[in-house]
Amino acid sequence: MTQKLRRAAIVGGNRIPFARSNSTYAEASNQDMLAAALEGLVSRYGLEGERLGEVVAGAVLKHSRDRDLTRETVLGSRLSPETPAYDVQQACGTGLEAAILVANKVALGQIDVGIAGGVDTTSDAPISVNDDLRRILIDLNRQKTNAGRLRTLAGVRPGQLVPDFPRNAEPRTGLSMGEHQAITAARWGITRAAQDELTAASHTNLAAAYDRGFMNDLMQPYLGQERDQNLRPDSTVEKLAKLKPVFGGPDGTMTAGNSTPLSDGASTVLIASEEWAKEKGLPVLAYLSHAETAAVDYVGGDEGLLMAPAYAVPRMLARAGLTLEELDLYELHEAFAAQVLTTLAAWEDPVFAREKLGLDAAVGTVDRTKLNVNGGSLAAGHPFAATGGRIVASLAKELHARGGGKGLISVCAAGGQGVVAILESEGV
Amino acid sequence: MSEQTLSGSPGTLALYPRAVAPLIPGLSRLPFVPGRGKTVPTRELVLEDVSVDPEHLARYARVCGFRLAATLPATYPHMLAFGLHMKLMTRGDFPFAPVGLVHIENTITQRQALRTTDRLEIRVSATQPEPHPKGRTFAFLTEARVDGEVLWEERSTMLRRGGGGGDVRRPPSRPKQPDLPARAQWTLPGGLGRRYGSVSGDRNPIHLTGLTARLFGFDSAIAHGMWTKARCLAALEGRYPTAFRAEVAFRQPIKLPGRVTFASEERPSGLRFAVRDTKRGTPHLDGTLTRLERAHT
Repeated sequence: MTQKLRRAAIVGGNRIPFARSNSTYAEASNQDMLAAALEGLVSRYGLEGERLGEVVAGAVLKHSRDRDLTRETVLGSRLSPETPAYDVQQACGTGLEAAILVANKVALGQIDVGIAGGVDTTSDAPISVNDDLRRILIDLNRQKTNAGRLRTLAGVRPGQLVPDFPRNAEPRTGLSMGEHQAITAARWGITRAAQDELTAASHTNLAAAYDRGFMNDLMQPYLGQERDQNLRPDSTVEKLAKLKPVFGGPDGTMTAGNSTPLSDGASTVLIASEEWAKEKGLPVLAYLSHAETAAVDYVGGDEGLLMAPAYAVPRMLARAGLTLEELDLYELHEAFAAQVLTTLAAWEDPVFAREKLGLDAAVGTVDRTKLNVNGGSLAAGHPFAATGGRIVASLAKELHARGGGKGLISVCAAGGQGVVAILESEGV
Repeated sequence: MSEQTLSGSPGTLALYPRAVAPLIPGLSRLPFVPGRGKTVPTRELVLEDVSVDPEHLARYARVCGFRLAATLPATYPHMLAFGLHMKLMTRGDFPFAPVGLVHIENTITQRQALRTTDRLEIRVSATQPEPHPKGRTFAFLTEARVDGEVLWEERSTMLRRGGGGGDVRRPPSRPKQPDLPARAQWTLPGGLGRRYGSVSGDRNPIHLTGLTARLFGFDSAIAHGMWTKARCLAALEGRYPTAFRAEVAFRQPIKLPGRVTFASEERPSGLRFAVRDTKRGTPHLDGTLTRLERAHT
């Protein structure tokens, strides 16, 4: 069977401003926020009553009652209720992976239009019963006699009544993501000064994006929040230098400033075939042309938890027949400033290229003036699954506004994974 | 019409002693106890610069089944106006005592969705009493304005049973309600009236517990009419535009706890919906949602 591939077009996006944990969106659930982002997209692109090919979204921290979060969100939206939907979950890669999935179906001609999205709340988090208590309750349900039930209940100890809060820790290592990254940063000799410099640039660039109205058609206010709450337009290297390290011990280089805060928010992206966009009179900002997902062995092997994008990007570039320097813009998700800097260092290192990637020469050097030009997660905040959609929509818009070009997206994720993609635009 | 601008929303809990006072024999002769006037005072109460408390909105959305959106549920301004309704009714010159009034009809007209961040001006007045086969009715007229423009209006018709209704001709019998297909079943917990009561401030004893409801002649606590209407609009979320009129008639009260069936169907006249008792089919609510042209495009 031969099949002609189509180009998957990024038409636009909509997100709600990101808020810091337990703040403006403390009362909002994942469904509330995803619905708000989706409603804004529906209004902006006139999708009321449209039956779309599919809506794909996900959340990293999800309540068990939110089994079909995306479908439930669609059912309450002004999209046609005949629009199917499904959830994906790939840690912080969720949002970008969702966009890749929708783009692939568009490319294959299986659907003409779809929406990719993501949402996360660290405020309205799923707290579960302690695993010991859960087993006791299941056993209680299994008991047939009152005596049996009483025996089971008599086994409950006070400590077992303490609920489990979701933790930002890797199940197999017990280390938090920040602790993992601190080890990787130390190994690559990433300095505090370099991290603070990247962080200040993130705030400056995002503030400038707001000031020039760049965010106006990418965002819709929600619950009184009109800008990303974490943004500090007056952030400077000097101010950041005063913060105490939070990861890597007293001599650590990672602080609350150069690490992303826990955040709440949602994002959506409209992806369609060129024909569909043309028929609707909607613009094509860019095309999602290449994608790659990689994983590294951070448990038994010697690679860092958040290093998978360093592998994914060269593989994708090889397949696309491109070099790193041929790209016009670079969007590296700033989970931690140190994560971005270790990735850049790895690409510049011929030893890493030879030993880890099997390449003759280093991958290349990223021109810093082309990196995260409208700010990154350090400034905007990082509601895990919502970050991919934020980056796809803003990079597509920026490439289009610049008259075209190629842009890289790189997102690291828990579990030692990394999702990367290339957007290409022909400009206005 | 005289206009009175209040400095803040009146606390409804403090108004309850006055609301209940007319029930005590003899008290209704006192000048500050409502129920003495023959006509509804032509008074308009105004609350200016009202902002929405996101935490309260979230509690309201949760109890009614709405999602917390960038715009307000269409029934939410009723919450903001409830204090003014109570204030108007608990004045000595108001002809009806608040406790025991039955909400029989409610029409909300929304020209444009209100945003959670809008600064609202809420205006409340009441119509003159009209005869009704079962007693007398009057209506609260409520408006929500943004920058002087009326974006939201509500007419809440209240019935006072008995007295003065005997001499009117029976109005034409209620038009036969369409048989709508069932869409969902709702299990309503016994504490629903208390929960909605604490969110809405409407702590009418008929909604709170079986015991307090029995004092007023009900077998058990009954659901708030405005909760039922809100629950219906939440169930229809996404199926109507931002400019619409939602008219409902409240029929038999919903006994709590209970199980009811929600029914709806698209008709040429608009989106029809209803709430029925699941077992007996007793009608609780009949409604129509009509789509309107948007005020602004």
